[in-house]
Order: sequence, then structure tokens, then C-alpha cells
Amino acid sequence: MDAEAQDSFREFVENRSSALLKTAVLLTGGDRHAAEDLLQNALIKAAGHWYRIDEPEAYVRQILYRQQVSRWRLKWRRRELTVAEPPEPGANPDAASAAELRLLMRGALARLTARQRTVLVLRYFEDLPEADVARILGCSVGTVRSTTHRSLARLRTLAPELTALGPQAADARPQPSRDFSPVEVRP
Amino acid sequence: MNVEELLRDSLCELAAEQRPAGPGYADRVLAARRRRRNRRLASVVAATAAVVAVAVAVPLLDPGKETVRPAGVLDKGGVHAHPDQSPPRDVIAAGQAVLAAYYRAEVEPQTDKRAVSQRTYWLLDPKTGKYEKDSRWSFVAVAPGLKTAAVLERSLPAQRIGLLDLTTGEVERWIPVERGVGGLAFSYDGSRLVATTYDENPDLRIKQKLIDLNEKETWMWGTEFGESSRSGFYDLDVASGEGHWSPVAPDRSIGSRQDFEFSRAGDRVYSQVIGAGDGLQQFYRLDGAKAAAPANEKGLRSDVPARLSPNGSLAALGLTKEVNGKPGKSYSSIRDPRTGKEITKVRGAHLLAWADDRRLIAWERVTGLNETYRPQLVLVTIGSDKVVPLSGVREEPAKGVDWDTWEPVFARR
Repeated sequence: MDAEAQDSFREFVENRSSALLKTAVLLTGGDRHAAEDLLQNALIKAAGHWYRIDEPEAYVRQILYRQQVSRWRLKWRRRELTVAEPPEPGANPDAASAAELRLLMRGALARLTARQRTVLVLRYFEDLPEADVARILGCSVGTVRSTTHRSLARLRTLAPELTALGPQAADARPQPSRDFSPVEVRP
Repeated sequence: MNVEELLRDSLCELAAEQRPAGPGYADRVLAARRRRRNRRLASVVAATAAVVAVAVAVPLLDPGKETVRPAGVLDKGGVHAHPDQSPPRDVIAAGQAVLAAYYRAEVEPQTDKRAVSQRTYWLLDPKTGKYEKDSRWSFVAVAPGLKTAAVLERSLPAQRIGLLDLTTGEVERWIPVERGVGGLAFSYDGSRLVATTYDENPDLRIKQKLIDLNEKETWMWGTEFGESSRSGFYDLDVASGEGHWSPVAPDRSIGSRQDFEFSRAGDRVYSQVIGAGDGLQQFYRLDGAKAAAPANEKGLRSDVPARLSPNGSLAALGLTKEVNGKPGKSYSSIRDPRTGKEITKVRGAHLLAWADDRRLIAWERVTGLNETYRPQLVLVTIGSDKVVPLSGVREEPAKGVDWDTWEPVFARR
């Protein structure tokens, strides 16, 4: 990497690292340290190809998503995050304010598998269509659809207060506590 | 609210809470990369005795096999210029500033004496990178990130605010409001929305007679100065749609549409006032009471949209110098926001948005000082006289055409 490429890399990181870090934090379920590691690895990989990258942000994001899913594949046994306060299944849904529900949702998100969380972040934070999520993660649209469905159901299982919400409540079905289905990753 | 909506809100909230990586982050990444490369090189050297070992280690020198690049995703680091397009068809962007939309206004007569200046927006489709006409809205504010826009329907003042998903073009959520809203603006972090309330359509025009120097009468559609129906503003939390309305006392020194915007910190709102100078501004507390300007926004002008640089250390001010030539050159003032002292001048007649802490997008003239002012969007850099054209030249509409020329709407990525 020559001086010009380093300047261009610095400029990109200065401008975009905050936004990328936000995505990384969501992918890691709120674990800031893990998110910083994830982003640093992705940026180091991008730096190695800096001359050839036309769309640096798209490139780094793709590495973030795939790295997170691959990491899960390698370390699935340790994938569940310890959270200080597990959701309280007995709480009265009517009493839960919007802020409380968002906190419950965060706790539940942190307990999803990395793959489930990655799919939800891509669908509901990045707002990407299923086809784009499939392309980014290197899997089929059907896999994206079923993972999304299973992940939402799992959120309701982890935080039963959420089942009182909206028309999707009827979908809630008990899910196995862990999802051992294979991940299709083609890096 | 259903689980999907709550999920979306929770993700946005968690993302919004994250503090930036901090200064020098890029250098820390580069240093980590150097350390990692050195470790790998050392492992290669140690293994030179065994050809097989080298064959295994060499691929490690080229980390990252993810060469797949999603098609249709914007290049978020670079400059997108289309100097042949006015109004633009394809995305215009530089650094963190993106032309998220543009609009044209057209006078639509309602009676012989009254008309409405109706806006039509062209919104950037983030998937295709093209501007698509969307006639559903009379007002659009685009949130940072370019994923969501807040919209008002055609008839103003509106009784609900839509949150439009820019990727799908569908309204994700409606926020109902008791008082009619005519204008919208997001806070700097995109988490809140200030919605200016009006009793009447703020874009009303009345037929006015002009008598020129030759005593010739002409009729035109104009606004009635000092007759604004502005009543106050809502301060709304975008994630929950909750918020409160604050009345603002009527003011005769404002135009019929005089929308509020948030200060950088989001603890006050301001709007333009018409007075002794151009670009004056009045700040208000969030309960609607008049307030002093924040220390770092005291010297800003309400008619220069770029305002504070991303890191807050520089203020974009107005046109300060013009040099004749073919084309002429304009310079705007860059000042210390706290002291108001000019730090330097930068090219550009009208500073619209900061691309980063050194570069801005501006209107700049393509004509000499004695010719009709015709501008194009350009990228200018502090400390450089160079301008990079981003759009085609904006032409004034021909005489007798009711369409106004196009007006840009910028948002941060």
C-alpha cells in the first residue's frame, strides 16, 4: 500500500467507520468489543485489496456479514452471548412500554445465533430484499426466507412479551433452543 | 406495532447509541495490518526449508477472498459526478454527502386569485442509483443513511407523516398528528424529526400586480409576506413516533413557509427570519420559547445549508468574493464557528453540504460576472482552487413556464 492508497484508505475509514461500526455492533448483538474486532478484521482485509476495490463500503460490508456468519460456523458452540439480565417470561405484556419492549428485543437479539442475527440485520436494518441478502451471504433465497421466519419466531420464544404484538403474533411457535442447521457459506 | 417494527426500531436505537471509533482509527487498523503481515512473513521465512510449508503459507499473504461485489450498491467512499445531467438522472455524491432527492415546484391555480406552489420530488433509488419521480408527496425530508424519508402527502397541511422506505418505495409507518404539518427536518443523527405546523397551506400564492418602471402592469403569483400561518412544531422520536407539540408565537418577520430545523446538538430548533441582513436565524427551545443561539451556531446563516462541518470545527458561510473571468469564480467564507473569524475562503457561490471536513458540495457559476448567473453543482476543497463539476448546468425555466428550476435535497450517507 503506497502513501496515496493509505490516504484514500484513511479518508474512507474516517468517513465511514462510524456507520460500519454500528452495523458491526448489531451483528454481534450489542457486543462492542467483538464488533470492533470484526470491523478491524474486515478493514484489514479490505486494505489488502485497496487498489482493486471499486466500492469500498459495499466490499467491507460484505466481508463483515460473511465473516460473522463464517465465524459462527467455526465457533457455534460458543456462540451464545451471556447477557446480564435474561428476559422475564412472566411479565405482563400490557404493562411493557415501547422502551421496555425495545430492551427486551435487544436481550433476545443478543441470544440469537450469529447467522440468525445477521439475516435480521440485513433484512430489517439494512432493509435489503431477500434476493440481495441471499447474494451477500452466498445462500439461496429460500434459506434467507426460512432463516428470517425462524429467527422472528425465536425472538418471540426468547421474549414471550413480543408475542402480544401485532398480527404476526399467531405465527409464534415454540422453536428448538438452538439451531444446528448447516450454513451455506461460499466465501 | 408488530415484532418486525419493534425489531427495526430496536436495531436503529442500538445503532444510534454507538459512539464513533475515535480519532486515529484508520492508523490503528493499518498498524494492526502491518503487525499481522510481519507475523505472516516471519512464518513464511521460517518455513522456506520445506516447500510444502511455503505453499501453505503463501496464500496467507493475500488475506480475504471475498471479491464478490454486490451490484447496484452505491460507492460510498467516492465521488459520483454527472456533469452532463441537469436535472440529474444518476446519483450525485461526494464523501458523505449524497444528493438524496431534488424537487421542482409548479404553481397550480385554485381560483382566479389563489394558487398553490406544488412540489414534485424525484427520489434516489438506492438500489439502482437513479432518481425516480414520486408524485405522491408534497414534502420530503431524507434521514441520514438514505434508508428512510419522512414524507407529507399532496394536500397541506397534512394530518399524518409517512416514514417512507426508500428501498421499497413503500410507507413503513404513518405518524398521525393532530395539528397540520407543512414541513419536516431530521435531527443530525436522524433519530428525531421536527415537523413545522401551519394552519393553512404554507405554499399558498396570491395573484399580485407589479408595476414596472415604464408603468407597465404585470400579474404574478407571489407570497404574502408577514402572513404566515405557522403555529409551532412537533418534536418527534422517529423510532416510536412519539413526541410533543410546542406552540410558537406568530411572527411577522417570517415568510409564509418558514420551517424549523434542529440545531446540531438537537436541543434547539431554528428558522430563518427576515430582517436587516440576509440569512438571519432565530433559535427556540424545544418548548417553543425563543432562545439564544448555541455558541457554535451563533455565526451561521440560515440561508447557507452546509452549516457546521462534520467534526464541528468549521462553519460554512456565504459568498464573500467574486472574480471575473470565463467563467467567473466565486468564493465563500469558512469561519471558526465560535469566534466568527474567517479562517479561509473556499470556491463556491452557495455552500450546500459538507462531503467531509475539507470538501463541500456547492453551486458555482459557469458564467462570467456580467452574464446571467447559471450554476452547476461542484465539489470544492478547502485550500484548493480546483472545482470538480458534479451536475450539469442549472437553467432558469423559460418565460411563461410555471415550473421552477430544480432544487437539491442532500443527506448524509
